[in-house]
Amino acid sequence: MSPVVEVRDLRKSFGKVRAVDGVSFTLEADRIYGLLGRNGAGKTTLMSLLTAQEFATSGTIELFGQSPVENARVLEQTAFIKENQKYPEDFRVKHLFRSAPWFFANWNAELAGSLAEDFRLPLDRRMKKLSRGQLSAAGVIVGLASRAPLTFFDEPYLGLDAVARQLFYDRLLADYAEHPRTIVLSTHLIDEVSTLLEHVILIDEGRILIDSDAEDLRGSAITVAGTASAVDDFTRNREVLHRDRLGGLATATLPALDAAGRKDAAAAGLELSPVSLQQLIVRTTTSGEDPS
Amino acid sequence: MDDSRPIFQQIAEQIENDIISGLLPEESQVPSTNEFAAFHRINPATAGKGVNLLVDTGVLYKKRGIGMFVAPGTRARLVAERRDQFRMQYVEPLLVEAEKLGITPEQLGSMIREAGR
Amino acid sequence: MTAITATAGTPGTAPSGFARILRVVRLNLANPWTTVIMPWIVLGAIFVLSYGIWILVFLSVEPGGEAEAREGMQWSGASMWIFVYLLVVAVQTMNLTFPLALGYGSTRRDFYLGSAATFVVLSVMWALGLTILSAIESATDGWGIGGRMFTTIFFGGDSPVWQRLVICLCISLFFFFVGAAVASVYVRWRVLGMIVFFFLLGLALIGALALIFAVDGWPAVGDFFVTNQAFGVSLWMLVPTAVAGLAGYLMIRGATPR
Repeated sequence: MSPVVEVRDLRKSFGKVRAVDGVSFTLEADRIYGLLGRNGAGKTTLMSLLTAQEFATSGTIELFGQSPVENARVLEQTAFIKENQKYPEDFRVKHLFRSAPWFFANWNAELAGSLAEDFRLPLDRRMKKLSRGQLSAAGVIVGLASRAPLTFFDEPYLGLDAVARQLFYDRLLADYAEHPRTIVLSTHLIDEVSTLLEHVILIDEGRILIDSDAEDLRGSAITVAGTASAVDDFTRNREVLHRDRLGGLATATLPALDAAGRKDAAAAGLELSPVSLQQLIVRTTTSGEDPS
Repeated sequence: MDDSRPIFQQIAEQIENDIISGLLPEESQVPSTNEFAAFHRINPATAGKGVNLLVDTGVLYKKRGIGMFVAPGTRARLVAERRDQFRMQYVEPLLVEAEKLGITPEQLGSMIREAGR
Repeated sequence: MTAITATAGTPGTAPSGFARILRVVRLNLANPWTTVIMPWIVLGAIFVLSYGIWILVFLSVEPGGEAEAREGMQWSGASMWIFVYLLVVAVQTMNLTFPLALGYGSTRRDFYLGSAATFVVLSVMWALGLTILSAIESATDGWGIGGRMFTTIFFGGDSPVWQRLVICLCISLFFFFVGAAVASVYVRWRVLGMIVFFFLLGLALIGALALIFAVDGWPAVGDFFVTNQAFGVSLWMLVPTAVAGLAGYLMIRGATPR
């Protein structure tokens, strides 16, 4: 199947700031993507470009094989409620759920209703008066119930408590399982969502650092720990993703070792420990801040 | 789920464990991919990969339109495999370490019997 | 897996252009409180205030001066405030519905055409409402005390009802679409755009006044209003209305939600 999204050498500058700086990737149909990166990494800008809410400075974007810019047939397939979404004056939650079905062909009112109940969202309250968590819940409900073939969730967990977050993840998985579609989940908290993701795109300062299947990333790195000199000796001719030093002790994160490498490390008296996806991503995005 | 190694492997291991422990008897139906996904809160594609790994190794087989089932004779085979693994992972390093300390296999045997009492 | 719905790998059939525009109209009117009800409340408030003023005026006039007071009533500008409010409604509607419409997957084109259609619908509503009120005003001899709010000189005074309808329609359209254009400037260029816009507008007005003075054109301007009357002038207002509508469209096509 042809990709749902195809982006080539995309750039977007705001004045001198390069929010998106030469990005190319594709999104395949019916997968859950994690768009990861720190705050201000360019996640929201990238999603705004994909949905033609922003105009690219250069590069090409194709959604379903066509440019999304002012393209009703393409944009029809997308849903993107921003983390800081603005709503019409005096709009109430019920107005949101009343108007959304007009725009989403696959809208499921039953799902929206049960989600609103589960999230305990007061339908009669003004959008302006909602708490951060309730605003997130409203956006999450529109995204889920839209069942848009290409749905974006922009930091959907902000302000949600642990129960509500788990609820979102569970309902997302359940509905996705029955109605597969392409989902892009932007987040800077990888821990909670990492197992939901099939594919991960990590951006930092407008550039892609990682574009890989989540499963390939798990176990793709390892941490060695020991005395500073032993770690230095061991890592001399190896690629190092991240280093830490505490007094005479040091740790280094490396790409996964083969059997021989593991044996060498053990012989050098180094301890090996696995690296979780979260740690790997934190270390990839902070590699420039080597404290040594 | 442990996030430091591929989840599909962990899913496959878990199903194997359940077969060995008798929780999933031979010829019984295993949960669907989506049930695994929902239960472990993981991506259905990842769960599917774990299940498919077991189909490839003959642990599970597919009944078209119905679901996945534990293949007959699987338990004995898995137990034999695990015993081999056990020997490699635990017994051999144990012997190596024991030898360093001058413990003979006989002494090791009686140590184990004592510890198990 | 159960019932897998076919999700599109290629663009499906989008709704017709009409349906896409209609749903923006519905979105604009989804909460009628702001766009429909509130302006009528404002109009009601203006009416109540005006009524109080009329009573004061007629109580304070010297005996015999009543005719003069009645004459003055037709120059009352009170009801013009409602149009200023409509302009504000247009700005608010455009500015705050735009980001949500785009989040819903609307194009800028459909959003603008839908908003324009909304303004036409609202203008028709106001034209009908104001004309009915003016008819009542005529029939009750100024709400029983000779007050004038809907039959002032700006609304064509006592001209035929169909002319009053056209006049009200044109004025409503003018304010809504000027509002749409102002909103488009704001949506596209934010505060800086507003500053530049009003600076240029101010310059243009001063320039026009200077020109009229320079060519000693005031008599001609006066003639224009006298010969065209309210009816003719309101028809002429369709020209700047159309210009504002087109300018709004061109500006919104390049706007991005913030």
